[in-house]
Amino acid sequence: MKYGTGLRAAVMLSAIAVLLLPGVAAAYIDPGTGSYILQMVLGGLLGGLFAIKVYWKKITAFFRKKSLEKKVDAETRAE
Amino acid sequence: MPRPELSDQRIAGSFRDPSGFLFNRGGVLYRQVNRVFGDHYATLISSGLYKHLRESGLMISHEEVDLAPADSSRAYKIIKPALVPFISYPYEWCFSQLKDAALATLEIQKIAIEFGMSLKDASSYNIQFLSYQPILIDTLSFEKYKEGRPWVAYRQFCQHFLAPLALMCHTDIRLSQLLRVHIDGIPLDLASILLPIRTRFSFSLLTHIHIHARSQARYADKGGKARDAHLTRMGMLGLIDSLQSAVRKLNWKPAGTEWAEYYSETNYSERAASHKESIVREFLSVIKPNCIWDLGANTGRYSRVPAHMGISTLSFDVDPAAVERNYIECRRHRETSILPLVVDLTNPSPAIGWHHAERRSLLERGPADAVLALALIHHLAISNNVPLPILAEFFRDMTRTLIIEFVPKTDSQVQRLLASREDIFTDYSENDFLEAFGRFFRIDQSVPIDDSKRSLHLCIRKADA
Repeated sequence: MKYGTGLRAAVMLSAIAVLLLPGVAAAYIDPGTGSYILQMVLGGLLGGLFAIKVYWKKITAFFRKKSLEKKVDAETRAE
Repeated sequence: MPRPELSDQRIAGSFRDPSGFLFNRGGVLYRQVNRVFGDHYATLISSGLYKHLRESGLMISHEEVDLAPADSSRAYKIIKPALVPFISYPYEWCFSQLKDAALATLEIQKIAIEFGMSLKDASSYNIQFLSYQPILIDTLSFEKYKEGRPWVAYRQFCQHFLAPLALMCHTDIRLSQLLRVHIDGIPLDLASILLPIRTRFSFSLLTHIHIHARSQARYADKGGKARDAHLTRMGMLGLIDSLQSAVRKLNWKPAGTEWAEYYSETNYSERAASHKESIVREFLSVIKPNCIWDLGANTGRYSRVPAHMGISTLSFDVDPAAVERNYIECRRHRETSILPLVVDLTNPSPAIGWHHAERRSLLERGPADAVLALALIHHLAISNNVPLPILAEFFRDMTRTLIIEFVPKTDSQVQRLLASREDIFTDYSENDFLEAFGRFFRIDQSVPIDDSKRSLHLCIRKADA
């Protein structure tokens, strides 16, 4: 599934804003902290997108199943 | 109680994780599971995760054994993992091998979450290749998943997999060699500098590499904040999904490198090539090796001779494009006897890491039962200026039996190598070759190749060499 253009633009803009924030001098104390914080920041967005993706797949699978059933019915009637 | 044997040798690459360690006893490899990891190990087994991953071919199998521990004060269990025939390292993998290893790691993490566990490390060294199939070899890589806790191995995954793949794909394929220098993966700030500006317009690379690097720098001295970090289960699944999508989007096609078109430029006629194959087959039926190293294998045409005879074959080449083609071919045809790897024989993989022992050199992972060195000697002797006696010593250290092709100066490929340089190689003739190799090897058979000026030689290492 493709992410929405508007949503992507919003993410890009906020990402660019984060990139423009002044960085702190790299004192190597806990290299995992920044990774943890980033996961926390990204978690809501990526989790939300993932949920949409999962439900979208379920919806399309439902309609695919319906259309397949119709096709099979039509073929059965034709026979 | 049985006592540990004095001859136990701990495997140097497995000391970092307090969960356990590998040791060698009497030539057999075992893994001690420490008590500190006991609860997690029990969950790995009881949850069905181990069974699922093993049956999916994603994880190495093991059996629990009743054996005296190597360190009884900390021991919980001793397990005997199935053996991987040859341990290779990420800097020896082509692009698609690293990509497949990355996807396997993410798939394992996704499955682990379903079973209530999580990978506590995502080191590329924990993945090995059984032919074309990546497999997790570290049984102790899992911990019980605590909902709300971020993925502890996220940084490591990005450094070991995503950053090198992005660099190989967007900057230069040769940057995989940065993994030799950075044993815990390519630092993200370095990857961020080396990646082109356009990668900032890719959502996944922007977040997982560029912003990740900035975030690491920003919070480098704020360790306490990590304790407050929270990631929901859906957020965790979204993170893994996003990383999978990032890795899948990275593609590299071999083109324009030194050797990628070699076979189309070779001076061999089809008659010479098939005669060469039949001589190799004949020599192999004499020496009957269990495994063979094909050095300078290019895309692996001649590696397939031993492979089709059921001989386990390592197919080495310096060119990442040739190895990529070889690997894709293996994957396409589900060839189980060949493992293609990127190795520069003029500067082979060294021993690296703590105490020069965490990752072993190429020679330390030998010797091979047999070596195939076809159309190689002129590149080493003439392009790389290695005198024939020194070449013979190199092969003596590497193998017991050698199938080697001699390419004389009159051959058009050697003429090409000499076209742009002075011929200083006064000691490069077939007689010089036989004399140099005869010091260490008995030349069992020598056969000229039809329709060429070349010859093939079967050499058996002398007992006193």
